[in-house]
Amino acid sequence: MSDARLLEVERINTYYGKSHILHDVSLHVEQGEIVTLLGLNGAGKTTTLRSILGLTPPRTGTVKLNGRELRGLAPHAVARLGVGYVPEGRRMFKNLSVLENLQLAERGTVGDGWTIGRVYDRFPKLKELAGRKSGRLSGGEQEMLAIGRALVGNPKLILVDEPSQGLAPIIVIELYKTLEELRRQGASILLVEQNALLALKVSQRAYVIDDGHIVHTGAADELAHDQPRIRGLMGLREDEDIPA
Amino acid sequence: MIEHLAPEIVNGIVLGAFYAIIAIGLSLIMNLTGTINLAHGSFMTLAGYLAFTLMSRGSNFWFALAASAICTAIIGLVVERLLISPLYKRVPLYSLLLTFGLSLVFEEVFRLIWGPSTVPFSAPPELSGATQIGDVFLPTYRLFIMVALVVVMVALLVFLYRTRLGLRLRGAVQDAEMLAALGTNTQLLYMTNFGLGILLAAIAGVLAAGLLGLGPTMGNDLLMPAFITVVIGGMGSLAGSIVGGLLVGLAISITTLYLPAASEVIMYVLMAVVLLIRPRGLFGEEGIFG
Repeated sequence: MSDARLLEVERINTYYGKSHILHDVSLHVEQGEIVTLLGLNGAGKTTTLRSILGLTPPRTGTVKLNGRELRGLAPHAVARLGVGYVPEGRRMFKNLSVLENLQLAERGTVGDGWTIGRVYDRFPKLKELAGRKSGRLSGGEQEMLAIGRALVGNPKLILVDEPSQGLAPIIVIELYKTLEELRRQGASILLVEQNALLALKVSQRAYVIDDGHIVHTGAADELAHDQPRIRGLMGLREDEDIPA
Repeated sequence: MIEHLAPEIVNGIVLGAFYAIIAIGLSLIMNLTGTINLAHGSFMTLAGYLAFTLMSRGSNFWFALAASAICTAIIGLVVERLLISPLYKRVPLYSLLLTFGLSLVFEEVFRLIWGPSTVPFSAPPELSGATQIGDVFLPTYRLFIMVALVVVMVALLVFLYRTRLGLRLRGAVQDAEMLAALGTNTQLLYMTNFGLGILLAAIAGVLAAGLLGLGPTMGNDLLMPAFITVVIGGMGSLAGSIVGGLLVGLAISITTLYLPAASEVIMYVLMAVVLLIRPRGLFGEEGIFG
Protein backbone atom coordinates (compact mmCIF):
# COMPACT_ATOMS: atom_id res chain seq x y z
CA MET A 1 0.00 0.00 0.00
CA SER A 2 2.71 2.49 0.96
CA ASP A 3 4.20 2.60 -2.53
CA ALA A 4 0.81 3.05 -4.18
CA ARG A 5 0.30 6.35 -5.95
CA LEU A 6 -1.73 9.03 -4.22
CA LEU A 7 -4.29 9.08 -7.01
CA GLU A 8 -4.42 6.53 -9.79
CA VAL A 9 -7.18 6.81 -12.35
CA GLU A 10 -7.18 3.95 -14.80
CA ARG A 11 -9.18 3.71 -18.01
CA ILE A 12 -12.39 5.22 -16.72
CA ASN A 13 -15.41 5.60 -18.96
CA THR A 14 -18.07 8.04 -17.82
CA TYR A 15 -21.46 8.77 -19.31
CA TYR A 16 -24.14 11.40 -18.93
CA GLY A 17 -27.20 9.34 -19.72
CA LYS A 18 -26.37 7.79 -23.06
CA SER A 19 -23.62 10.19 -24.06
CA HIS A 20 -20.20 8.76 -23.60
CA ILE A 21 -18.09 11.60 -22.16
CA LEU A 22 -14.81 10.10 -20.93
CA HIS A 23 -13.07 7.44 -23.02
CA ASP A 24 -10.51 5.32 -21.19
CA VAL A 25 -9.15 8.27 -19.25
CA SER A 26 -6.07 7.43 -17.19
CA LEU A 27 -4.03 9.81 -15.07
CA HIS A 28 -2.23 9.89 -11.77
CA VAL A 29 -1.08 12.31 -9.11
CA GLU A 30 1.91 11.71 -6.85
CA GLN A 31 2.19 12.96 -3.31
CA GLY A 32 3.26 16.62 -3.30
CA GLU A 33 2.55 17.32 -6.96
CA ILE A 34 0.42 19.83 -8.74
CA VAL A 35 -0.87 18.16 -11.88
CA THR A 36 -2.81 20.14 -14.45
CA LEU A 37 -5.50 18.79 -16.70
CA LEU A 38 -5.83 21.11 -19.68
CA GLY A 39 -8.53 21.18 -22.25
CA LEU A 40 -11.19 23.29 -23.87
CA ASN A 41 -14.74 23.74 -22.71
CA GLY A 42 -16.59 20.47 -22.96
CA ALA A 43 -13.44 18.37 -23.32
CA GLY A 44 -14.25 16.41 -20.15
CA LYS A 45 -12.20 18.17 -17.48
CA THR A 46 -14.97 18.71 -14.97
CA THR A 47 -16.40 15.29 -15.71
CA THR A 48 -13.02 13.78 -14.82
CA LEU A 49 -13.13 15.48 -11.42
CA ARG A 50 -16.76 14.49 -10.90
CA SER A 51 -15.85 10.91 -11.75
CA ILE A 52 -13.11 10.85 -9.12
CA LEU A 53 -15.46 12.28 -6.50
CA GLY A 54 -18.26 9.84 -7.28
CA LEU A 55 -20.61 12.66 -8.26
CA THR A 56 -20.85 11.18 -11.75
CA PRO A 57 -19.54 7.67 -11.20
CA PRO A 58 -17.62 6.07 -14.07
CA ARG A 59 -19.18 2.93 -15.52
CA THR A 60 -15.88 1.17 -15.96
CA GLY A 61 -12.29 1.60 -14.87
CA THR A 62 -10.74 2.21 -11.48
CA VAL A 63 -10.08 5.24 -9.31
CA LYS A 64 -7.69 4.58 -6.46
CA LEU A 65 -6.52 6.80 -3.62
CA ASN A 66 -3.41 5.37 -1.97
CA GLY A 67 -4.36 2.06 -3.50
CA ARG A 68 -7.89 2.11 -2.16
CA GLU A 69 -10.72 1.81 -4.69
CA LEU A 70 -13.02 4.84 -4.76
CA ARG A 71 -15.27 3.85 -7.63
CA GLY A 72 -18.65 2.82 -6.31
CA LEU A 73 -18.39 4.88 -3.14
CA ALA A 74 -20.83 7.70 -2.43
CA PRO A 75 -19.37 11.22 -2.71
CA HIS A 76 -19.35 11.77 1.06
CA ALA A 77 -17.33 8.58 1.52
CA VAL A 78 -14.82 9.70 -1.11
CA ALA A 79 -14.54 13.08 0.62
CA ARG A 80 -13.99 11.42 4.00
CA LEU A 81 -11.22 9.25 2.59
CA GLY A 82 -9.34 12.42 1.77
CA VAL A 83 -10.44 14.05 -1.47
CA GLY A 84 -11.09 17.79 -1.22
CA TYR A 85 -13.01 19.73 -3.83
CA VAL A 86 -12.83 23.35 -4.96
CA PRO A 87 -15.58 23.38 -7.55
CA GLU A 88 -16.01 25.41 -10.69
CA GLY A 89 -17.95 28.56 -9.91
CA ARG A 90 -17.00 28.07 -6.22
CA ARG A 91 -20.47 26.88 -5.20
CA MET A 92 -20.76 28.80 -1.99
CA PHE A 93 -23.58 28.07 0.42
CA LYS A 94 -24.49 31.64 -0.29
CA ASN A 95 -27.04 32.21 2.47
CA LEU A 96 -24.61 30.90 5.07
CA SER A 97 -21.85 32.94 6.62
CA VAL A 98 -18.16 32.48 5.87
CA LEU A 99 -17.73 30.73 9.22
CA GLU A 100 -20.70 28.43 8.56
CA ASN A 101 -19.32 27.49 5.16
CA LEU A 102 -16.12 26.41 6.88
CA GLN A 103 -17.95 24.61 9.69
CA LEU A 104 -19.84 22.53 7.14
CA ALA A 105 -16.58 21.20 5.75
CA GLU A 106 -14.52 20.94 8.92
CA ARG A 107 -13.31 17.48 9.74
CA GLY A 108 -10.92 17.00 12.60
CA THR A 109 -7.58 15.36 12.17
CA VAL A 110 -4.87 14.23 14.50
CA GLY A 111 -1.76 16.38 14.79
CA ASP A 112 -1.25 19.68 13.05
CA GLY A 113 -3.97 19.57 10.42
CA TRP A 114 -6.00 22.44 9.06
CA THR A 115 -8.49 24.04 11.42
CA ILE A 116 -10.75 27.02 10.88
CA GLY A 117 -8.27 29.01 12.98
CA ARG A 118 -5.39 28.07 10.69
CA VAL A 119 -7.41 28.94 7.61
CA TYR A 120 -8.09 32.35 9.17
CA ASP A 121 -4.36 32.79 9.81
CA ARG A 122 -3.58 31.96 6.21
CA PHE A 123 -6.42 34.08 4.79
CA PRO A 124 -6.89 36.94 7.26
CA LYS A 125 -9.52 38.46 5.00
CA LEU A 126 -11.81 35.51 5.69
CA LYS A 127 -11.50 36.11 9.41
CA GLU A 128 -12.55 39.73 8.92
CA LEU A 129 -15.55 38.57 6.91
CA ALA A 130 -16.41 35.60 9.15
CA GLY A 131 -19.96 36.73 9.86
CA ARG A 132 -20.82 37.85 6.34
CA LYS A 133 -23.01 35.77 4.05
CA SER A 134 -20.72 34.10 1.56
CA GLY A 135 -22.97 35.10 -1.34
CA ARG A 136 -21.97 38.69 -0.67
CA LEU A 137 -18.22 38.15 -1.00
CA SER A 138 -16.25 39.17 -4.07
CA GLY A 139 -15.19 36.48 -6.53
CA GLY A 140 -11.65 36.41 -5.18
CA GLU A 141 -12.83 36.17 -1.59
CA GLN A 142 -15.18 33.36 -2.54
CA GLU A 143 -12.34 31.47 -4.21
CA MET A 144 -10.25 31.81 -1.03
CA LEU A 145 -13.21 30.55 0.98
CA ALA A 146 -13.68 27.65 -1.42
CA ILE A 147 -10.02 26.72 -0.92
CA GLY A 148 -10.27 27.18 2.84
CA ARG A 149 -13.37 25.03 2.85
CA ALA A 150 -11.48 22.25 1.10
CA LEU A 151 -8.52 22.60 3.47
CA VAL A 152 -10.50 22.25 6.72
CA GLY A 153 -11.57 18.82 5.51
CA ASN A 154 -7.86 17.92 5.71
CA PRO A 155 -7.75 16.18 2.35
CA LYS A 156 -4.85 14.14 1.00
CA LEU A 157 -5.62 15.39 -2.48
CA ILE A 158 -7.42 18.56 -3.57
CA LEU A 159 -9.32 18.77 -6.84
CA VAL A 160 -9.42 22.36 -8.08
CA ASP A 161 -11.74 23.22 -10.96
CA GLU A 162 -11.21 26.41 -13.03
CA PRO A 163 -10.14 28.59 -10.09
CA SER A 164 -9.30 31.58 -12.29
CA GLN A 165 -12.72 31.74 -13.86
CA GLY A 166 -14.29 35.17 -13.54
CA LEU A 167 -11.48 36.65 -11.45
CA ALA A 168 -9.41 39.78 -12.13
CA PRO A 169 -5.87 38.97 -13.39
CA ILE A 170 -4.19 40.32 -10.27
CA ILE A 171 -6.38 38.10 -8.07
CA VAL A 172 -5.62 35.10 -10.28
CA ILE A 173 -1.89 35.58 -9.77
CA GLU A 174 -2.35 35.74 -6.00
CA LEU A 175 -4.50 32.64 -6.18
CA TYR A 176 -1.82 30.70 -8.02
CA LYS A 177 0.78 31.81 -5.50
CA THR A 178 -1.47 30.33 -2.84
CA LEU A 179 -1.72 27.01 -4.67
CA GLU A 180 2.05 26.87 -5.06
CA GLU A 181 2.56 27.66 -1.41
CA LEU A 182 0.11 24.94 -0.38
CA ARG A 183 2.06 22.48 -2.48
CA ARG A 184 5.34 23.45 -0.82
CA GLN A 185 3.64 22.71 2.50
CA GLY A 186 2.87 19.22 1.23
CA ALA A 187 -0.51 19.49 -0.49
CA SER A 188 -1.21 17.49 -3.63
CA ILE A 189 -3.43 19.10 -6.21
CA LEU A 190 -5.17 18.05 -9.39
CA LEU A 191 -5.90 21.28 -11.22
CA VAL A 192 -8.29 21.77 -14.09
CA GLU A 193 -7.81 24.92 -16.13
CA GLN A 194 -8.48 26.62 -19.39
CA ASN A 195 -5.89 29.20 -18.44
CA ALA A 196 -3.14 26.92 -19.71
CA LEU A 197 0.01 29.01 -19.44
CA LEU A 198 -0.56 30.08 -15.87
CA ALA A 199 -1.54 26.59 -14.75
CA LEU A 200 1.59 25.09 -16.34
CA LYS A 201 3.80 27.51 -14.39
CA VAL A 202 2.79 26.06 -11.04
CA SER A 203 2.47 22.44 -12.15
CA GLN A 204 4.99 19.62 -12.31
CA ARG A 205 3.13 17.54 -14.86
CA ALA A 206 0.28 18.08 -17.27
CA TYR A 207 -2.33 16.13 -19.16
CA VAL A 208 -4.29 17.40 -22.11
CA ILE A 209 -7.79 16.12 -22.62
CA ASP A 210 -9.68 16.54 -25.87
CA ASP A 211 -13.14 15.19 -26.59
CA GLY A 212 -12.94 12.82 -23.63
CA HIS A 213 -9.55 11.34 -24.56
CA ILE A 214 -6.22 12.04 -22.90
CA VAL A 215 -4.11 13.17 -25.85
CA HIS A 216 -0.90 14.22 -24.13
CA THR A 217 1.03 13.53 -20.94
CA GLY A 218 4.27 15.13 -19.93
CA ALA A 219 6.31 17.52 -17.83
CA ALA A 220 4.64 20.88 -17.36
CA ASP A 221 7.65 23.03 -18.23
CA GLU A 222 8.24 21.25 -21.54
CA LEU A 223 4.68 21.86 -22.55
CA ALA A 224 4.78 25.46 -21.34
CA HIS A 225 7.62 26.25 -23.77
CA ASP A 226 5.99 24.59 -26.71
CA GLN A 227 3.07 26.84 -27.49
CA PRO A 228 2.39 25.52 -31.00
CA ARG A 229 2.11 22.10 -29.41
CA ILE A 230 -0.40 23.34 -26.82
CA ARG A 231 -2.44 24.80 -29.67
CA GLY A 232 -2.30 21.53 -31.55
CA LEU A 233 -3.17 19.41 -28.56
CA MET A 234 -6.06 21.57 -27.59
CA GLY A 235 -7.50 21.67 -31.09
CA LEU A 236 -6.82 25.37 -31.66
CA ARG A 237 -5.84 26.87 -35.02
CA GLU A 238 -2.53 28.67 -35.53
CA ASP A 239 -4.14 32.07 -35.28
CA GLU A 240 -6.22 31.33 -32.19
CA ASP A 241 -5.02 32.47 -28.79
CA ILE A 242 -4.39 29.99 -26.05
CA PRO A 243 -7.02 30.77 -23.43
CA ALA A 244 -5.43 32.81 -20.67
CA MET B 1 -67.63 43.82 21.11
CA ILE B 2 -64.29 42.73 22.52
CA GLU B 3 -65.90 39.82 24.33
CA HIS B 4 -67.07 38.48 20.96
CA LEU B 5 -63.90 39.25 19.11
CA ALA B 6 -61.34 38.08 21.65
CA PRO B 7 -62.31 34.39 21.54
CA GLU B 8 -62.32 34.47 17.75
CA ILE B 9 -58.88 36.03 17.70
CA VAL B 10 -57.61 33.34 20.05
CA ASN B 11 -59.29 30.82 17.79
CA GLY B 12 -57.62 32.32 14.77
CA ILE B 13 -54.21 32.30 16.41
CA VAL B 14 -54.60 28.67 17.48
CA LEU B 15 -55.71 27.61 14.02
CA GLY B 16 -52.95 29.71 12.52
CA ALA B 17 -50.36 28.09 14.76
CA PHE B 18 -51.51 24.68 13.49
CA TYR B 19 -51.26 25.82 9.89
CA ALA B 20 -47.82 27.24 10.59
CA ILE B 21 -46.48 24.04 12.15
CA ILE B 22 -47.84 21.94 9.31
CA ALA B 23 -46.55 24.42 6.73
CA ILE B 24 -43.08 24.38 8.29
CA GLY B 25 -42.97 20.58 8.02
CA LEU B 26 -44.14 20.73 4.41
CA SER B 27 -41.56 23.40 3.63
CA LEU B 28 -38.70 21.49 5.25
CA ILE B 29 -39.47 18.47 3.11
CA MET B 30 -40.20 20.44 -0.05
CA ASN B 31 -37.08 22.59 0.17
CA LEU B 32 -34.61 19.81 0.63
CA THR B 33 -35.88 17.12 -1.68
CA GLY B 34 -38.54 18.78 -3.83
CA THR B 35 -41.10 16.37 -2.43
CA ILE B 36 -44.58 17.80 -2.05
CA ASN B 37 -45.83 15.59 0.74
CA LEU B 38 -49.56 15.13 0.25
CA ALA B 39 -49.50 12.43 2.94
CA HIS B 40 -48.53 15.00 5.57
CA GLY B 41 -52.08 15.26 6.89
CA SER B 42 -52.30 11.48 7.13
CA PHE B 43 -49.38 11.43 9.52
CA MET B 44 -51.18 13.96 11.70
CA THR B 45 -54.28 11.80 11.77
CA LEU B 46 -52.19 8.70 12.42
CA ALA B 47 -50.55 10.34 15.43
CA GLY B 48 -53.98 11.34 16.73
CA TYR B 49 -55.31 7.79 16.45
CA LEU B 50 -52.21 6.29 18.05
CA ALA B 51 -52.59 8.67 20.98
CA PHE B 52 -56.31 7.86 21.16
CA THR B 53 -55.58 4.13 21.31
CA LEU B 54 -52.95 4.59 24.00
CA MET B 55 -55.27 6.75 26.08
CA SER B 56 -58.17 4.35 25.71
CA ARG B 57 -55.85 1.74 27.23
CA GLY B 58 -55.19 3.88 30.24
CA SER B 59 -52.23 5.97 29.26
CA ASN B 60 -52.32 9.60 30.27
CA PHE B 61 -52.39 12.40 27.71
CA TRP B 62 -48.73 13.39 28.06
CA PHE B 63 -47.33 9.92 27.57
CA ALA B 64 -49.69 9.35 24.65
CA LEU B 65 -48.57 12.61 23.04
CA ALA B 66 -44.88 11.76 23.28
CA ALA B 67 -45.16 8.10 22.37
CA SER B 68 -47.45 8.59 19.39
CA ALA B 69 -45.36 11.46 18.03
CA ILE B 70 -42.21 9.36 18.19
CA CYS B 71 -43.89 6.27 16.69
CA THR B 72 -45.38 8.33 13.88
CA ALA B 73 -41.99 9.89 13.11
CA ILE B 74 -40.45 6.42 12.96
CA ILE B 75 -43.17 5.25 10.59
CA GLY B 76 -42.39 8.38 8.56
CA LEU B 77 -38.72 7.40 8.37
CA VAL B 78 -39.63 3.96 7.09
CA VAL B 79 -41.96 5.41 4.47
CA GLU B 80 -39.25 7.86 3.39
CA ARG B 81 -36.58 5.17 3.00
CA LEU B 82 -38.71 2.52 1.33
CA LEU B 83 -41.06 4.55 -0.85
CA ILE B 84 -40.10 8.20 -1.21
CA SER B 85 -36.30 8.21 -1.35
CA PRO B 86 -36.12 6.08 -4.53
CA LEU B 87 -37.97 8.92 -6.27
CA TYR B 88 -35.64 11.79 -5.29
CA LYS B 89 -33.82 11.68 -8.60
CA ARG B 90 -37.02 11.99 -10.58
CA VAL B 91 -39.20 15.03 -11.22
CA PRO B 92 -41.41 16.01 -8.24
CA LEU B 93 -44.52 14.70 -9.99
CA TYR B 94 -43.59 11.14 -9.03
CA SER B 95 -43.41 11.79 -5.31
CA LEU B 96 -46.53 13.92 -5.55
CA LEU B 97 -48.45 10.99 -7.00
CA LEU B 98 -46.94 8.59 -4.50
CA THR B 99 -47.80 10.68 -1.45
CA PHE B 100 -51.29 11.37 -2.82
CA GLY B 101 -51.80 7.63 -3.15
CA LEU B 102 -50.41 7.10 0.32
CA SER B 103 -52.88 9.57 1.79
CA LEU B 104 -55.76 7.62 0.24
CA VAL B 105 -54.39 4.36 1.59
CA PHE B 106 -53.91 5.85 5.04
CA GLU B 107 -57.44 7.21 5.09
CA GLU B 108 -58.95 3.83 4.25
CA VAL B 109 -56.80 2.11 6.84
CA PHE B 110 -58.00 4.62 9.45
CA ARG B 111 -61.61 3.81 8.52
CA LEU B 112 -60.93 0.09 8.77
CA ILE B 113 -59.26 0.26 12.16
CA TRP B 114 -60.97 3.15 13.92
CA GLY B 115 -64.24 3.47 12.00
CA PRO B 116 -65.59 6.13 9.67
CA SER B 117 -66.85 8.65 12.21
CA THR B 118 -65.03 10.78 14.76
CA VAL B 119 -63.88 9.11 17.95
CA PRO B 120 -64.16 10.76 21.37
CA PHE B 121 -60.82 12.39 22.04
CA SER B 122 -60.90 14.72 24.99
CA ALA B 123 -58.32 17.04 26.34
CA PRO B 124 -56.81 15.98 29.67
CA PRO B 125 -58.74 17.15 32.76
CA GLU B 126 -55.99 19.53 33.85
CA LEU B 127 -56.40 21.40 30.56
CA SER B 128 -60.19 21.46 30.37
CA GLY B 129 -62.32 24.35 31.52
CA ALA B 130 -61.69 28.01 30.92
CA THR B 131 -59.16 30.54 32.06
CA GLN B 132 -60.10 34.14 32.76
CA ILE B 133 -57.84 36.78 31.28
CA GLY B 134 -59.09 40.28 32.03
CA ASP B 135 -62.81 40.24 31.25
CA VAL B 136 -62.56 37.39 28.83
CA PHE B 137 -62.89 33.67 29.46
CA LEU B 138 -60.79 31.55 27.14
CA PRO B 139 -60.72 27.76 26.87
CA THR B 140 -57.65 26.51 28.73
CA TYR B 141 -56.89 23.86 26.10
CA ARG B 142 -56.63 26.51 23.39
CA LEU B 143 -54.25 28.55 25.47
CA PHE B 144 -52.22 25.42 26.12
CA ILE B 145 -52.05 24.68 22.38
CA MET B 146 -50.82 28.19 21.69
CA VAL B 147 -48.04 27.83 24.24
CA ALA B 148 -47.16 24.31 23.09
CA LEU B 149 -46.89 25.26 19.44
CA VAL B 150 -44.74 28.27 20.27
CA VAL B 151 -42.43 26.01 22.30
CA VAL B 152 -42.20 23.58 19.38
CA MET B 153 -41.36 26.38 16.95
CA VAL B 154 -38.69 27.83 19.22
CA ALA B 155 -37.18 24.37 19.66
CA LEU B 156 -37.12 23.96 15.89
CA LEU B 157 -35.42 27.31 15.37
CA VAL B 158 -32.81 26.48 18.01
CA PHE B 159 -32.21 23.16 16.27
CA LEU B 160 -31.84 24.72 12.82
CA TYR B 161 -29.73 27.71 13.83
CA ARG B 162 -27.73 26.48 16.80
CA THR B 163 -26.74 22.89 16.04
CA ARG B 164 -24.37 21.24 13.58
CA LEU B 165 -27.12 19.09 12.14
CA GLY B 166 -29.30 22.16 11.66
CA LEU B 167 -26.44 23.88 9.85
CA ARG B 168 -26.09 20.89 7.55
CA LEU B 169 -29.80 21.00 6.76
CA ARG B 170 -29.57 24.68 5.89
CA GLY B 171 -26.54 24.02 3.70
CA ALA B 172 -28.16 21.06 1.98
CA VAL B 173 -31.18 23.14 1.01
CA GLN B 174 -28.82 25.35 -1.00
CA ASP B 175 -26.53 22.78 -2.59
CA ALA B 176 -26.87 19.19 -1.44
CA GLU B 177 -24.39 17.84 -3.97
CA MET B 178 -21.67 20.22 -2.81
CA LEU B 179 -22.40 19.29 0.78
CA ALA B 180 -21.95 15.62 -0.12
CA ALA B 181 -18.65 16.44 -1.81
CA LEU B 182 -17.55 18.01 1.48
CA GLY B 183 -18.21 14.77 3.35
CA THR B 184 -21.82 14.89 4.54
CA ASN B 185 -24.01 11.84 4.05
CA THR B 186 -26.91 13.56 2.38
CA GLN B 187 -29.16 10.50 2.27
CA LEU B 188 -29.04 10.39 6.07
CA LEU B 189 -29.81 14.09 6.08
CA TYR B 190 -32.86 13.67 3.81
CA MET B 191 -34.13 10.99 6.14
CA THR B 192 -33.61 13.07 9.28
CA ASN B 193 -35.28 16.03 7.65
CA PHE B 194 -38.32 14.03 6.63
CA GLY B 195 -38.58 12.55 10.10
CA LEU B 196 -38.41 16.02 11.60
CA GLY B 197 -41.23 17.28 9.37
CA ILE B 198 -43.35 14.27 10.34
CA LEU B 199 -42.56 14.76 14.04
CA LEU B 200 -43.93 18.31 13.80
CA ALA B 201 -47.02 17.03 12.00
CA ALA B 202 -47.50 14.32 14.62
CA ILE B 203 -47.34 16.70 17.57
CA ALA B 204 -49.77 19.01 15.81
CA GLY B 205 -52.00 16.03 15.03
CA VAL B 206 -52.39 14.94 18.64
CA LEU B 207 -53.02 18.50 19.81
CA ALA B 208 -55.53 19.07 17.01
CA ALA B 209 -57.39 15.88 17.85
CA GLY B 210 -58.40 17.30 21.22
CA LEU B 211 -59.62 20.50 19.61
CA LEU B 212 -61.14 19.66 16.25
CA GLY B 213 -62.29 16.10 16.86
CA LEU B 214 -60.54 13.03 15.53
CA GLY B 215 -61.81 11.41 12.34
CA PRO B 216 -60.17 9.79 9.30
CA THR B 217 -59.87 13.10 7.43
CA MET B 218 -58.78 15.37 10.27
CA GLY B 219 -55.26 15.91 8.99
CA ASN B 220 -56.24 16.20 5.36
CA ASP B 221 -58.74 18.90 6.27
CA LEU B 222 -55.87 20.92 7.71
CA LEU B 223 -53.58 20.28 4.77
CA MET B 224 -55.12 22.65 2.23
CA PRO B 225 -54.92 25.72 4.50
CA ALA B 226 -51.35 24.66 5.31
CA PHE B 227 -50.40 24.59 1.62
CA ILE B 228 -51.98 28.01 1.20
CA THR B 229 -49.92 29.12 4.18
CA VAL B 230 -46.77 27.97 2.41
CA VAL B 231 -47.73 29.89 -0.71
CA ILE B 232 -48.65 33.05 1.18
CA GLY B 233 -45.60 32.97 3.42
CA GLY B 234 -43.25 32.12 0.58
CA MET B 235 -41.56 28.82 -0.20
CA GLY B 236 -38.61 28.08 1.97
CA SER B 237 -39.19 30.68 4.64
CA LEU B 238 -39.83 29.68 8.25
CA ALA B 239 -40.86 33.20 9.19
CA GLY B 240 -43.15 33.17 6.17
CA SER B 241 -44.84 29.98 7.36
CA ILE B 242 -45.45 31.47 10.81
CA VAL B 243 -46.79 34.80 9.56
CA GLY B 244 -48.73 33.14 6.74
CA GLY B 245 -50.29 30.63 9.13
CA LEU B 246 -51.42 33.32 11.53
CA LEU B 247 -52.85 35.41 8.67
CA VAL B 248 -54.83 32.47 7.32
CA GLY B 249 -56.02 31.44 10.79
CA LEU B 250 -57.13 34.94 11.76
CA ALA B 251 -58.76 35.57 8.41
CA ILE B 252 -60.82 32.39 8.74
CA SER B 253 -61.90 32.94 12.33
CA ILE B 254 -62.77 36.62 11.95
CA THR B 255 -64.71 35.92 8.77
CA THR B 256 -66.57 33.19 10.63
CA LEU B 257 -67.75 35.83 13.08
CA TYR B 258 -68.86 38.51 10.62
CA LEU B 259 -69.56 36.71 7.37
CA PRO B 260 -69.82 32.97 8.05
CA ALA B 261 -70.70 32.14 4.46
CA ALA B 262 -67.32 33.44 3.27
CA SER B 263 -65.19 31.63 5.85
CA GLU B 264 -64.38 28.76 3.51
CA VAL B 265 -63.28 30.96 0.67
CA ILE B 266 -61.43 33.71 2.51
CA MET B 267 -58.06 31.96 2.48
CA TYR B 268 -58.15 31.65 -1.30
CA VAL B 269 -58.96 35.35 -1.58
CA LEU B 270 -56.06 36.12 0.76
CA MET B 271 -53.73 33.96 -1.32
CA ALA B 272 -54.82 35.62 -4.55
CA VAL B 273 -54.25 39.08 -3.11
CA VAL B 274 -50.80 38.23 -1.74
CA LEU B 275 -49.74 36.61 -5.01
CA LEU B 276 -50.94 39.59 -7.05
CA ILE B 277 -48.80 41.92 -4.97
CA ARG B 278 -45.88 39.58 -4.37
CA PRO B 279 -45.74 36.49 -6.55
CA ARG B 280 -43.07 34.77 -4.47
CA GLY B 281 -45.08 35.11 -1.24
CA LEU B 282 -44.45 37.40 1.69
CA PHE B 283 -41.03 36.13 2.73
CA GLY B 284 -40.16 33.92 -0.20
CA GLU B 285 -36.93 34.03 -2.11
CA GLU B 286 -36.86 34.30 -5.82
CA GLY B 287 -36.24 31.12 -7.75
CA ILE B 288 -36.19 28.64 -4.89
CA PHE B 289 -36.66 25.85 -7.39
CA GLY B 290 -34.23 27.42 -9.88
